[in-house]
Amino acid sequence: MPSPFFTPGTRSQADQVALLHLRRDQTIPTVLQIHDDKNLGYDEGKVTNTRFGSFPHSTLLGQPWGSQIAASKVDTGSRGRRPPTQTQTSTPTETQTQTQLKRKAEDSPTVTDDARPTPKAAVAAASGYLHLLYPTPESWTASLPHRTQVVYTPDYSYILHRLRARPGCTILEAGAGSGSFTHAAARAVFNGYPSSEESLDEDQQQQQPSKKRRLGKVCSFEFHAQRVERVRDELVQHGLQGVVHATHRDVYGDGFLLDGASPHANAIFLDLPAPWLALKHLTRRPVEGGNPVSPLDPSTPVYICTFSPCLEQAQKTISTLRQLGWVAIEMVEVQHRRLEIRRERYGLDARGVRGAVVFPKSVDEAIGKLRASDRGGRFRNHKDDSIDTETPPAVNTTTITANTTTTTTTTITTQNTPVYNLGRVVHRTEADLKTHTSYLVFAVLPREWSEADEAKCRAKWPSSCVVDSKPFPAKSKKQLKREEKAKRDEERRKNE
Amino acid sequence: MHSYIRPNDYVGVRLPSEGTRIIRPVPNTTVSLGKYGSFPANQIIGRPYHLTFEITETPDEDGNILRVVSAAELHAESLISDGSGEADGEGEELEMYGDGDAPMRTNREIVDDSSTQKMTLEEIEALKKEAGGAGREIIAKLLESHTALDQKTAFSLAKYTLRKRKKYMRRFTPIPLDVGFLTNYMLGEKDAAKIMELRDEAIGLIGCWGNVHHGGNTPIEDAMGSRPNSRYFVVDETGGLIVAAMAERMGILFSEDGDDEATSTVPEPSQHPANEDGQTEADQTEPGAEDSVPSRSPHQQPMSASGNTITLLHAHTRPNLSLLKYFGFDYDNPDESHPLFKHLKTVSWLQLVDPSTDPIYSNEPEEPSQETLSTMKASKRNAFYRKRNRWARTRNVVDEARAGGFDGLIVASLMEPATIMKYAVPLLTGSASVVAFSPTVEPLSELVDLYSTHRKTAFITQKRQIREQDEEDQVQGLAELEAEFIVDPSLLVAASVQTSRVRSWQVLPGRTHPLMSSRGGPEGYIFHAIRVLPAQDHIQAAGNQSRKRRKVSQKETTAPATTATDSGDANTDIQMRL
Ligand SMILES: C[S@@+](CC[C@H](N)C(=O)[O-])C[C@H]1O[C@@H](n2cnc3c(N)ncnc32)[C@H](O)[C@@H]1O
Repeated sequence: MPSPFFTPGTRSQADQVALLHLRRDQTIPTVLQIHDDKNLGYDEGKVTNTRFGSFPHSTLLGQPWGSQIAASKVDTGSRGRRPPTQTQTSTPTETQTQTQLKRKAEDSPTVTDDARPTPKAAVAAASGYLHLLYPTPESWTASLPHRTQVVYTPDYSYILHRLRARPGCTILEAGAGSGSFTHAAARAVFNGYPSSEESLDEDQQQQQPSKKRRLGKVCSFEFHAQRVERVRDELVQHGLQGVVHATHRDVYGDGFLLDGASPHANAIFLDLPAPWLALKHLTRRPVEGGNPVSPLDPSTPVYICTFSPCLEQAQKTISTLRQLGWVAIEMVEVQHRRLEIRRERYGLDARGVRGAVVFPKSVDEAIGKLRASDRGGRFRNHKDDSIDTETPPAVNTTTITANTTTTTTTTITTQNTPVYNLGRVVHRTEADLKTHTSYLVFAVLPREWSEADEAKCRAKWPSSCVVDSKPFPAKSKKQLKREEKAKRDEERRKNE
Repeated sequence: MHSYIRPNDYVGVRLPSEGTRIIRPVPNTTVSLGKYGSFPANQIIGRPYHLTFEITETPDEDGNILRVVSAAELHAESLISDGSGEADGEGEELEMYGDGDAPMRTNREIVDDSSTQKMTLEEIEALKKEAGGAGREIIAKLLESHTALDQKTAFSLAKYTLRKRKKYMRRFTPIPLDVGFLTNYMLGEKDAAKIMELRDEAIGLIGCWGNVHHGGNTPIEDAMGSRPNSRYFVVDETGGLIVAAMAERMGILFSEDGDDEATSTVPEPSQHPANEDGQTEADQTEPGAEDSVPSRSPHQQPMSASGNTITLLHAHTRPNLSLLKYFGFDYDNPDESHPLFKHLKTVSWLQLVDPSTDPIYSNEPEEPSQETLSTMKASKRNAFYRKRNRWARTRNVVDEARAGGFDGLIVASLMEPATIMKYAVPLLTGSASVVAFSPTVEPLSELVDLYSTHRKTAFITQKRQIREQDEEDQVQGLAELEAEFIVDPSLLVAASVQTSRVRSWQVLPGRTHPLMSSRGGPEGYIFHAIRVLPAQDHIQAAGNQSRKRRKVSQKETTAPATTATDSGDANTDIQMRL
């Protein structure tokens, strides 16, 4: 099954994860299903209840991505619910039930029909809506169920860029934790789903390009049994099982080989308490206590990033990286801010606008108001002595409302300026600021280069044939290629 | 993936000063690095990236003057200091204050930290043997002072002088020329304004929030909902850096990336008979024009890919993509084997918005009769086919762009963002991401404001009122609505702006601290929002608001403004008032 993360198609489909976007920072991930596998007993089948209304999945399925969906009238009280079916004794997780039901559906459709009555048609509610979105690593990271600390978009976007994680790469990751980084890494390396042999008939196989393209993959390791299970379940649910391999493993002791073979990694991300303990496995040649075969791709440079909240951890990592021959070692912190952008609405014309401060927005306006209040001054002073200049008008809104009934000028402006244009657009850093996530240590391990390699290279590109010590002449690429070929041919002739 | 240095490719170089250069090792020529010396290109061709070379004075028996500096030698100073008292924070003052002055410090309380690993005597000896040239000298000096353990100060002094010398060593490190390298090269060595002062952190964020990725290998007919994947709209005024960054993420930037996924069948314009058209237009500058032969097979057609594509919207007649040359792609004379040849499409704003007035799009080269064609001179016939091909290609690419269905919009432009959104956002599929980069915050905060809740509400209400009018009034009403609302605010949700900056640290034994200075300049801001499909019938916002409203009214007295929201209770209040 293709993943809705990478190839979402045009419409939502059953048994796929979708995001229900309520408002900024309020997005609920859910697996779309007509029938309610948790058996909560809604007449409408599976229903997601939100602050903005109830949404039977029958209204979310088969819709174009991005659609605005109206809430439905769902009786969320006990009356609208059927009593849970007796056969279901435990409350299994969504995935388990899903696979069970699928199997059932294949085996004997009649049983399923009995077990699952057609859900009642949904009836639109008077108000409330959401937007139906396909999942992305960003929205998943923001809404995933946390089991551990996770790496967020500001860090992983930078890390993956620096790791040169590109389509077709293999990335090693430890530990998988809650799978946040895993999803982003999978998108970075994705360049196709592996074809499952069974599903391909002869014809299709022949159509496959003869040149075998290397498919990107993420090899994720985690030593916490439950977390691996959770991540594996999610990967299947998200259609990513062909791109990510999750392994239950203590990488300090056992390293990164898969069935004893090298995964040929091009990039590594370590989000572990003691990354330096895993580094002995990540060498070009086996070292004491490390993996007997190098898990690295021998034909490319390998990029690494370790992610540690404490400086001491980073220092230990760096010291070990140096001892193991890594170069271009660098450490950075990512400092990221989200901005809050809004209109600050000041002015006497902002009366009645929610969130606005009714206060003169200019000296002119203040003077105008002073003139006006002066006129009515005597009358007011009789009424209430406490109303005078000492009361800050911004706080005492009622006073101003009373005053402005006499000022005609401000009423006119209110009518002319639409609410959305009142005041001025300002920005500030959002209230919750992350000031430290972790120290990011980067390094590169170049390819191995033996004397034999060098000798071969020297034979092919002898130093003696420098034609020109000045900047090279302007030759076309074609010309250069031709020359190269001629040289190669000559060499071959010589060797024969 | 950058396994070795290929002849004639552009190659990045890092120098001991931390400066960078771009070189091009053409076989049998000399590469010059200015004051760092020069060397024959043949001595780095075929070698791996990330090795550090030292240019030596005397060639070896093969005439080779480059010596590979081992990692151990590069780290010699740190490796030796690690685990000595050095790691406890001594000697730092030299670096921080002592520039030029001799160290003034004594180290009375030396505590050996046995937790970190010391180099063994054998290791040090091995390192000494392995090192050559300037490296050997450094290590010898270091060890001389280091073995005299009670003379820590002398050691510090030796290190200090050597550290200063290192900056002038004739060493260099070839680095793959990728987007990351090019970005830093442009920032550090070139005109940073040319790339809108984009930094790595912004490029990472743009790519992720834009959800830019490879479209996969699913044959179109198998794909869900049958449509090509990963089609992105890009507006790029950074000379092609944004295009390159997106192409890198999509696996279509490097010549080695060339892969064979499905391409749509472009109508064969060459099958049409040609006509006599004496015009000799200078269309050699047109992509692919030079090598275009009439009988080209469909998959060699430029801009012919159906999925995993970038459609660049450009403001001038010709887009500026000069930086792509570093990746082996010359827009004016593209290499057919480069993946961008098929996957990068270009459409001018005029072609997108009003194609009928575009000279290329609207002027179909007239078809001459078969006889005229056969009597034409070969060169003339080819010229005709070229024109015809160009016209057909333009039509395909423009029609396809105007049909929409794009999976994302990435903008790095100095143009008014709202004007870009106005035309490009409606052409995105639902759920697609919109990302806009700006060096400064103002254009983006204004853009967010154009999608504020107040605007959305007002727009939706006014539109509904217009729809209730009779037809004539509707036309005028909609025109007025468009004049008032430059963009349809109901097409995007979750509009937000963010910024990011990395802080670099020096991490050396006993001398760990953030760098004392770094590049200033514009912060660089990123706008993100999601395209949605508003329902045709008006849906009232709702929410279980009782608790929230209390909170809001409480807030009102302290905070003088509302925050833009997309749905829910903030809307309700306003809707009730209207
Ligand atoms: C902070 S979490 C990783 C979070 C993850 N990067 C994410 O974005 O969701 C660290 C994980 O490393 C795992 N871990 C710690 N030591 C490990 C080891 N030696 N081998 C494998 N996993 C380990 C822990 O169980 C934990 O789940």
